[in-house]
Amino acid sequence: MNAPQSGKSEADATRVSSGSVLVVGGGVAGVQAALDLTELGFKVYLIEKSGAIGGVMARLDKTFPTNDCSLCILVPKLVEAGRDPNIEILTLSELVELTGEPGNFTARIRKQPRYIDEEVCTGCGQCTLYCLKQIGNDFNENLERNHAAHIDYSQAVPASYYIDAKACLRLNYETCGLCAVACRAGAIRFDDREKVLDLKVGAVVLAPGFGRISDEVMARYGLGRFQDVITAFEHEQLMCASGPTGGEILRLSDRKHPKKIAFIQCIGSRNENCGNNYCSSVCCMYAIKQATLAREHDPECEITLFYMDIRTHGKGFDAARERAVREGNFRVIYARPPRVEDVFGGGLLLTWATESGQHLSEKFGLVVLSQGLESPDGAAELAQAAGIDLNEYLFAKTAINTPLATSRPGVYVIGAFQGPKDIPDSVTQAGGVAALCAGQLVSGRGSETIKAVFPEEREISAEEPRIGVFVCHCGINIGGVVKVPSVAEYARSLPGVVYATDNLYSCSQDSQKLLIETIQQHRLNRLVVAACTPRTHEPLFQATMREAGLNRSLFEMANIRDQCSWVHMHEPEAATEKAKDAVRMAVAKAHHLTALAEQQLPVTPSALVVGGGLAGMSAALAIAEQSFEVTLVEREPELGGRTVLLTADRFGHDPRQRMAEMVAAVRQHPKITVHTKAEIAAVSGYVGNFTTTVATDQASIVVNHGVMVIATGGRPYAPSQYHYGQSPRILTQLELEKKLAGKQPLAKNASQVVMIQCVGSRGEDLAYCSRVCCGQALKNSLRLKKLRPELAITVLYRDMRSYGFLEDDYRAARQAGVIFTRYQVEQKPEVTIGKGGKGSAVKVRYHDPLLAEEVELAADLLVLSVGIVPEEPTTLARMLKVPVTAEKFFLEAHVKLQPVDLPVDGTYVCGLAHSPRSMDETIAQAQAAAGRACHPLARGSITPAPIVSKVDPEKCIGCGVCEAFCPYKAIVIYKEEKSRKARTLTASCKGCGVCAARCPTMAIDMGRFTFDGIMAQIHAFGEGVQS
Amino acid sequence: MSEIYQPKILGFLCNWCCYTAADSAGVGRYQYPPNLRVIRMMCTGRLDPPFPLEGLATGADGIFVGGCHPGKCHYIDGNYHALVSAALVHETLTRLGVNKDRFLIEWASAAEGPNFVKIITAFTKRMTELGPLGVSEGLNPGELRASLATAAETARGRKVRTGLINAAKEMMKGSDFSRKTIAGLVTDKCAKALDELITAAD
Repeated sequence: MNAPQSGKSEADATRVSSGSVLVVGGGVAGVQAALDLTELGFKVYLIEKSGAIGGVMARLDKTFPTNDCSLCILVPKLVEAGRDPNIEILTLSELVELTGEPGNFTARIRKQPRYIDEEVCTGCGQCTLYCLKQIGNDFNENLERNHAAHIDYSQAVPASYYIDAKACLRLNYETCGLCAVACRAGAIRFDDREKVLDLKVGAVVLAPGFGRISDEVMARYGLGRFQDVITAFEHEQLMCASGPTGGEILRLSDRKHPKKIAFIQCIGSRNENCGNNYCSSVCCMYAIKQATLAREHDPECEITLFYMDIRTHGKGFDAARERAVREGNFRVIYARPPRVEDVFGGGLLLTWATESGQHLSEKFGLVVLSQGLESPDGAAELAQAAGIDLNEYLFAKTAINTPLATSRPGVYVIGAFQGPKDIPDSVTQAGGVAALCAGQLVSGRGSETIKAVFPEEREISAEEPRIGVFVCHCGINIGGVVKVPSVAEYARSLPGVVYATDNLYSCSQDSQKLLIETIQQHRLNRLVVAACTPRTHEPLFQATMREAGLNRSLFEMANIRDQCSWVHMHEPEAATEKAKDAVRMAVAKAHHLTALAEQQLPVTPSALVVGGGLAGMSAALAIAEQSFEVTLVEREPELGGRTVLLTADRFGHDPRQRMAEMVAAVRQHPKITVHTKAEIAAVSGYVGNFTTTVATDQASIVVNHGVMVIATGGRPYAPSQYHYGQSPRILTQLELEKKLAGKQPLAKNASQVVMIQCVGSRGEDLAYCSRVCCGQALKNSLRLKKLRPELAITVLYRDMRSYGFLEDDYRAARQAGVIFTRYQVEQKPEVTIGKGGKGSAVKVRYHDPLLAEEVELAADLLVLSVGIVPEEPTTLARMLKVPVTAEKFFLEAHVKLQPVDLPVDGTYVCGLAHSPRSMDETIAQAQAAAGRACHPLARGSITPAPIVSKVDPEKCIGCGVCEAFCPYKAIVIYKEEKSRKARTLTASCKGCGVCAARCPTMAIDMGRFTFDGIMAQIHAFGEGVQS
Repeated sequence: MSEIYQPKILGFLCNWCCYTAADSAGVGRYQYPPNLRVIRMMCTGRLDPPFPLEGLATGADGIFVGGCHPGKCHYIDGNYHALVSAALVHETLTRLGVNKDRFLIEWASAAEGPNFVKIITAFTKRMTELGPLGVSEGLNPGELRASLATAAETARGRKVRTGLINAAKEMMKGSDFSRKTIAGLVTDKCAKALDELITAAD
């Protein structure tokens, strides 16, 4: 454990390593890793096999458990990656060979031609419009058609079209070529050729995602034979408002709404026939999401879900599932229909056996196959190219203590290729891998990244407004509807406007040059661009302004494409009027724009980690490896946490030994200062500048630090059920672990062991699933069986949640003769203890559904699988002003995309304080928290967007309303002489403006969204009405 | 004038949800009536009550405020504050005898381009039905706009704002964010200030 995962040796430490990282795969994991890596000071080559980044997440309509729109939360990340000067995106590219050593690899990349120049393409879509060759739209599961010249989806990054070489008429038959004529930008390149690139990188991150279950496997369920048997991916497309049916769930056979839908789980998962013995981990939850959406589409239809086990073990998933099933009125059946048949008179017949052995059948109108995740296509080739080992299922081989490291040093793996997993876990791993790369390549940090350097800003406060207006044709996107020249002419007539013109593409590279020249030539001091949307293009124009020596806050945009020409395509007159109004309003606001200082706040380059268990120590090491100082605070006298209660992992390694090594590594690390018997007494400050008082048994220590990682951990639930504590025969799994490692693990005459799952968890005392107990019961069953094969073991469970590769243990346990019997929550097992004193018999009585009768076992050992309780978070949460869930876990900033960030900037969470998780998951998550925590540290300063609130002390009466309402605690009351005043903490303010709207004396105003500026927009609106 | 009346509509859209929804409506080429003019804000929580009142005073026939769905605010709870401001605007309109439909606050997530289009289309239709501000109300448009301007001015005053603060505080404490509850709170807490506001406007 003390050897960092990079495989860095002493000799390497002095050698300068590359400052670049290769990320293979542009799905959410790869994109997140790329973004995190550039934040940490590394250049990234992001290679993607398809024509655009986004991966599977871009194809999803919604994401569980919140049913958030998938694209809405993904696209900003894609745009950010596309715009980052330190991320080079190579599409249609594959890794073919990796030579060299960690720190100095050469990655050979093969890049297929796009036939459309990415730099020149403006994304207008004319080529698709004129393209004569239709192809299936792979992005829409081929439910729609697309053209050879196309873009995968409208928000794709790069926002450039490309030509399918296999389909294009010009490339194959020397005919057509219409796109080249239609393209006004002149971006078509029929002579584009395959390229081979050799990239120098220090580390490689593999994030190729997952593959699809083969059609052959799904054909067993009638896919391909019956039109109304569809895959979950197809169902996702039907749900989607921008999908092929416009968001209507229709049967493909008759275009009618299905009245009875069945979801069949575990298609291509947990299935020895197709070789996928593992559980795909995500299908249980996504089926619930899809069923919920199907319910929203049709309140009447009958929805049935066929489960083997319901594996909704993620944070908040059980609660989300229960609510969905209750509110959606779903029927849940524990069975696995083996096939789908069609019957006379229409409909799809499913037959299944219940747990009591009954055979039932029923007809359905639509059958959705919840297909599992397979290793990605070409996994073997990729493994060979990267020189890594795969496991038996062709996923990357990793180990429990190094979950993100492959068999080859310097090559890492994240996302589904590491094992089937959902989006939050993939994003978490991305954060973790960034930390590991940054630790491995610390000597190369910042050596290959570029920082945009801008000239000194011109002082304009004394000048009268000199506004320049640029009106964009956007090819024909705007110009085809709005009379752009007349809008530009109108702009010239507006007060303060000294220059106005129109351009074909305002965003093109040459237009930027023109903008700079014009700003300088006409001494413009405000800029208005009437074009697309500020959401995507404002940063581009602002960067141009800075190059021209103007403050970026002196910019305003009028949206005359997305919100005008595109939505009023048949009303050119009205659209032109609307565009003029938009320009007038923007110009009016521009009068009130002022240069806003870019705050550069310094960052104390060190971290404080609270909690010295597996999570805390993993985080501390991952931060320290990046050469930042860490203070580690542990309440107990010793480091190690609760992991030392485990005596073996599922591969038979002893975690206690690893923990001892880890403790030594932490203790010896020159960058880590450890305080034991210490607690956090007080915290103040904000990201980059925290001051924390640590109270030890001897003294009170003040620590200044830039960021903080919470890893306060959890403890085993203390059971009172099942007569725990009243008989030496009744143990918890952890007590059993201790026994198993002891001298006499099992009484000589012991012949029957019973395990009861979910003791305390899933609604007893703890509302949630504790995630690890099923795996632990399997592991301990197998340990017992190894010790004494003839031992009878019965596991009483609700759902066996052996997700991912843990399913192997489940199968192994069954093969070893362990008996698994499901109990119902309303019919729990009953335990009685004989009256004969200490050694008397323990009897477990339960309902056996297969026998349909009560069974009683005399247990020599009754093992309770108790859940995990988080350490009391309230005091710390209050000090940090961060929220905790009802279950007392710390609540992350965004379930999907910021799974280890807390809502207060500069604070992060990992380990059991976040949610129950296994050792390998804890390590990956701790590394993620470490990676995220190092963003501000690596940057060295923080620059909040200058849209923050500003308090006028003259008007402020110190009432504290702003402080009370601020969702980010970004405005505080301080005492000045005798009066109280509010002050904005610029670093924490996000610019929402609630404080300004609620201030009783209107003493607060917002940067760029000032009261006067908005009023000017309103008045400008009114002028149009009156004219 | 046989032509159908073209109402003037001013919209305040939050950057993260409704403005994005409006953009995605464009990307999807969903068509809607061209009557809306948009002011972008970072959050509907920025909506100071004088803004919509001034908008009506200065010539709008209807005001639309678009934010994130309740519970989904990018800034945690800014849209709840917008509901507080909205309640004041509605109450003011009622007291001035203006049809409450002329001020609409609705939600569309970033993903809901079609929903945004639906909302705007329906709102434009409703404003067309009502016609120019004051007409459907049987009020003199000039006088009404003057009253609204006074109301906008008064909404900058400490009394009204303190009422809103108290209403917002109760809302947060009660964790009940239904429009009805918020309207009740605002009417209750701002009653006195509103009396003065209306007297001034009259």
